[in-house]
Amino acid sequence: MEQRKHEPKIHPWRAFPFAASALKNLFSKPATTGYPFEPAHYPDRMRGHVEIRIEDCISCGLCARSCPPGALKVDRAAGTWTINRFDCVQCGNCANVCPKKCLTIVPGYTAPATGKSSETLTRPKAPDTPAAGRAGGKPVNDAGKCVYCTLCAKKCPQGAITVDRAAKQWRLDAEKCVGCGICAAACPKKCLTLQ
Amino acid sequence: MAKQSIVPFGPQHPVLPEPVHLDLVLEDEVVVKAVPSIGFVHRGLEKLVETKDYKEYVYIAERVCGICSFGHGMGYCQCLEKIMDIDIPPRAKYLRTIWMEMSRIHSHLLWLGLLADAMGFESLFMQSWKLREEVLDLFDATTGGRVIFSVNCVGGVLKDMDDSMLKRIVDTVTDMEKELRPIAETFLRDYTVGTRLHGLGMLSAEHAKMMGAVGPMLRASGVSYDARKLGYAAYGDLDFEPVTAADGDSFARCEVRIREIFQSIGLIRQAAAKIPAGPIAVPVKGNPNGEHFMRIEQPRGEAIYYVKANGSKFIERFRLRTPTTSNIPPMLEMLKGCQLADVALLILTIDPCISCTER
Repeated sequence: MEQRKHEPKIHPWRAFPFAASALKNLFSKPATTGYPFEPAHYPDRMRGHVEIRIEDCISCGLCARSCPPGALKVDRAAGTWTINRFDCVQCGNCANVCPKKCLTIVPGYTAPATGKSSETLTRPKAPDTPAAGRAGGKPVNDAGKCVYCTLCAKKCPQGAITVDRAAKQWRLDAEKCVGCGICAAACPKKCLTLQ
Repeated sequence: MAKQSIVPFGPQHPVLPEPVHLDLVLEDEVVVKAVPSIGFVHRGLEKLVETKDYKEYVYIAERVCGICSFGHGMGYCQCLEKIMDIDIPPRAKYLRTIWMEMSRIHSHLLWLGLLADAMGFESLFMQSWKLREEVLDLFDATTGGRVIFSVNCVGGVLKDMDDSMLKRIVDTVTDMEKELRPIAETFLRDYTVGTRLHGLGMLSAEHAKMMGAVGPMLRASGVSYDARKLGYAAYGDLDFEPVTAADGDSFARCEVRIREIFQSIGLIRQAAAKIPAGPIAVPVKGNPNGEHFMRIEQPRGEAIYYVKANGSKFIERFRLRTPTTSNIPPMLEMLKGCQLADVALLILTIDPCISCTER
């Protein structure tokens, strides 16, 4: 095989094309920021870490079930939400699936540490908290008022409700239901109650 | 016949960004045969599809590669959308196209930097990567991540771009075009770069086709083939022609990639001008059942996606053939007859991504 058969084009007048930028760089400010002496600036959409408004959490466990690296744990009985920030990959799936939208992914990294640890937050148990009052209840349909519009089935994040318009049937898969209350909020006839 | 000796090359080598091992059979300094072995960074990501919800797996699919991450997520989602017969909104298609082309600019600039570094041209390497930083900042502002974007979902995309953001993208890539010109000039006209690359690693069009080369490798040998011409996402609405070069040497591969950056900038401008208003995703209910096979053009070449679903929320089989897998046989062909000192540079000209290849 013949190697280097082409003669490269020689342009001696372009001998130092980057000399100008090298000189400019000598006398200009650094292109990088002086972190940690200056604060780092993050764009608004940056996926830095997960935050929770624990008072709105209903411990449905959807975030833990759909976390790809398994960094989240939810204990319904104790009302706790646990995150292992060292396993979290900031994909934002938990925030996407959260029916109460109490999980958000916000800019900025969490602080470094010397050992792996988890962070546990406990839901306030005060009975007057609106979320706590609704948590745990499953929707019950008042067949007299229901118009079988299927809105509840469409909004259900778990696909636990099936509505047959023709047969006028409303069914709940109690195993799938997490009691988030989205169906009751979406119901135009207000015939769903969480009990 | 001269006495043959075998020199092990890799998996750790200063010029290799990722681990691949080659046993080089040498006659004096000339390579007569190269025997590759991979398997140093296998992570079993294809197998994970069997234990993860199909909607969750998008986040894993895009972690196959740190450079083509957007494309892997998109390819997987497009397969599922075909299986589930979902027609995604046109705006989502355009957004995917814009992000895909940004990935191409990011990947090619990375490669140009690595090439300059392999040649020992440090200032050119710095210039290329400095320019690449601007695309990464755009990714950070639009998707929330510099390398892993997590914006694809089955049924569309998760994040929208408003007009000011689209304008910022167009303005930035237009500025980049100006800044890229002196860098491109240096790659294409500089004496040092030319002497190092011209005539090195010749691959004829027949050989390239026979050995299954893809992407810039194939197009640099004069074969006008680009999977984007299949018209997936919004590519069917955009006006472009595959970039080709006739020579089939390392210089041609460099030239094709540089011209593709300019082409991608043009495609981003076209897509930003044509993007329709509307929703960015459609709701997806139920589980997929069936199988689909599709191709997309990743920055490094054609990638193949195959998904077989069985009606449950777990996919039965996900197969991904990455461009580097296809480009290894032509690379071995190229290595025959080259000097030992050129091996590192020749491996680099296929733009290898070993962790993609091994998944």
